[in-house]
Amino acid sequence: MPKRGLKRAILIALISSWASKTFLRKSGETISGRVLLALRPSAIEELSNDRIILLVSGTNGKTSTTRFLTKLVEQLGGVATSKSGSNLSYGVASSLLSPHRYAVLEVDELHLPGMIAKTSPRVVVMLNLTRDQLHRMHEVKKVADRWKKIADLAHETTFVIDIDDPFLNYATSKAKNVVRVSFGGRPHPDGAVCPQCGDYLNWIDGQYECLCGLTNKYSDRKYVAQSASERNAILANVAGYIVGTSWVDPDSRELERKVEKEFHNRKVSIRLTKNPASWTEALKSIEAQRVILVLNAREVDGIDTSWLFDVSFEILRNRKIVVTGERAMDMQYRLHVEGIESSRVANFEEAVLQFEVGSEIQALTAYTAFFELSK
Amino acid sequence: MLTIVRIHNELLGTYGDRGNADVLAFRAKAAGVTSTILDISYRDPMPESGDIYLLGGAEDAAQALSLAALKRDGVLSRIAATDSVLLAICAGFQIIGTTFVNGENEVVEGLGLLDVSTVPGKSRCVGDVKIFSDLLGIELTGFENHGGVTTIGSSAKAFGKVIVGRGNGDGAHDGAVSGNVFGTYLHGPVLARNPEFADFLLARATGMKIANVTDPLADEYAVWRRSVTK
Repeated sequence: MPKRGLKRAILIALISSWASKTFLRKSGETISGRVLLALRPSAIEELSNDRIILLVSGTNGKTSTTRFLTKLVEQLGGVATSKSGSNLSYGVASSLLSPHRYAVLEVDELHLPGMIAKTSPRVVVMLNLTRDQLHRMHEVKKVADRWKKIADLAHETTFVIDIDDPFLNYATSKAKNVVRVSFGGRPHPDGAVCPQCGDYLNWIDGQYECLCGLTNKYSDRKYVAQSASERNAILANVAGYIVGTSWVDPDSRELERKVEKEFHNRKVSIRLTKNPASWTEALKSIEAQRVILVLNAREVDGIDTSWLFDVSFEILRNRKIVVTGERAMDMQYRLHVEGIESSRVANFEEAVLQFEVGSEIQALTAYTAFFELSK
Repeated sequence: MLTIVRIHNELLGTYGDRGNADVLAFRAKAAGVTSTILDISYRDPMPESGDIYLLGGAEDAAQALSLAALKRDGVLSRIAATDSVLLAICAGFQIIGTTFVNGENEVVEGLGLLDVSTVPGKSRCVGDVKIFSDLLGIELTGFENHGGVTTIGSSAKAFGKVIVGRGNGDGAHDGAVSGNVFGTYLHGPVLARNPEFADFLLARATGMKIANVTDPLADEYAVWRRSVTK
C-alpha cells in the first residue's frame, strides 16, 4: 500500500497528464513523470518496491529492444513500460505509474547508474556502447566507467551483455551476476584501446584478447546473428528467460526503428539513424535506387556533425540521392568528398517530390526528423 | 605524388578528423595534384617520406598510446625539421606540445614540436567555434570538444583569434603554429569546413600555388558555416 504522500503525488501527476492530453493535445507521458518527481523525489524508489523490473540501455536499439522485451514479459502478466522512448528519469517515473507487477524500461546511458540504484532491477540488458552525442557523453570509456561503478555494487541484478563489445565486458567485469552472450565476435568501431587497462587491444577476426585478461574468447552463451536487430532480439530473449519467459523468434524487421508511409503517392520506408554505428548499420539495409537522407544536429541528434567522415557511404554510389534537413549541406559535402553526388532540397516533402509517382523510396533520418515524420 | 599520412586513426579518430586526409586528397585532385593517403596504425612503422602528416582528436588512454608510439619511432620529431607539413587537432595538438596533463593528473612530456603546454580547465569547451587566422587572412569555423587550457610559449604563435567559442580554453586564441607545424582545437573536420586552409596546406607541402580549385559546393558550405556560427 503506497504511503499517503506518494498517493497524493500520483493522483496529481495523473490529473496533470490528463489535462495535458485533453487541453494541450500532448502525449501527457513526460508531464506526469515531471510532476510526480517534483512532488515526491523518492517516487521511483517507492514505485519500484515489490516489482520485477528489467532495464534496457545502450547506444543503439534501446527503444525497439524495450518494445520486444515488453512483448516477451507480457507472457507472464501485465507490464509497465514506456511507449514513447522517453528514457530519462521522469520518463521512468511516468512509466512506473502503471501498476503492473512487471516493468520493462528503457534508460538513457547516462541515467542508467541512477536508475539501477533507484529501481533495484532484476535484470539489466546492456546492448552496446559506441560513440554518440559526444557533446553530451564526451567519451565512450567514461560512460563505461560509470556503468562499471554501479554494476560492481548491484548484487541483486543480473546483467545480460553482448561480450563482443569490450566496453560492456569491462563494465560488468566485477559484477556478481552476468550472462555474457557472444555472437562470434566482430570489430568494434571504438575498440582500439582496452577499456580495462588502457593498453592497445589485440583484435583478430572480431576476437579481442588483452594481456590484462579482458577477452570475448569465453562466453556463457553463443548465438549467430546477422544484424544488430537480431543481436538485440537474442539479448532480449536471454533477459526474458531469467524472469521466466519462453523464447520468441522475432521478425528482425520488427526491431528496426522504421515506419512505412505514403507521401504524394510514393511509398517511403523511413528508418531512424543517429550516430556512426547506427548509420553504418542502416546503410547496409539500402536496397532501393531512390534514397533520401535527412540530417539534423539538435541536442538529441548530437550537435557536432564531424562524425559523418567516419561513415562510408559507398553503398549509395550510383543511386539517386536527395538530402535534406537542417544540416543537409554537411551531408551533401561529405558525400561529395566521397565522390557521391546528391541534390539538396528544403524539406522532406520536396525530397519525396524529386522522385516519380509510384516510386519506392528508402529514407534514413536523424532522430529528431524521425519523430516528426513518424507522427 | 603527394603523400598524406593519416596517423593512428584507430586511436585519434574519435571526432571525425580522419576527414582531413580525405579533403586534402580531394582538393589536391581538383588542383591537378595526384596524392595518396597512407593510413598508419599504432603498430605500423612511420614513413619518413610523407608530405603532410595528420593527427586527430582522441580520448585520454588513446592519446597516451599514440604519444608513446610517436616517441618510440621519433619520425615526427625528425620531419618537423623538414619542409613536411604537420596538422594536429585537439588531443593531437596536445601531443605535439611540450607538456600536457593526462587523465591521471600527471604532467606528460609531449613531442615538443610546438611551444605550447596544456593543463586541465575548470569546465569543458564544447560547441561551435569561429576564429580569425592572421596567417590565412580569413575566418575559420569548426567544433570544439575538449577540457584543456593551452598556453602558447614564446617560440610559437596562435593559429587564430577566437571570435566564437573558447579555442585554447582562454576564449582568446586557438591553436598554435610554428613553421609548417599547425595545431588547433577545431574539428568539423576543419579542412572540410574551411577549404582555404586545405589549399594553404597543400601549397605549403607542394611548393605550388594552389589557387585553381573550383568547387562551388565547398565554398557554399564554408560560407554558410561562417554565417551561422555566431
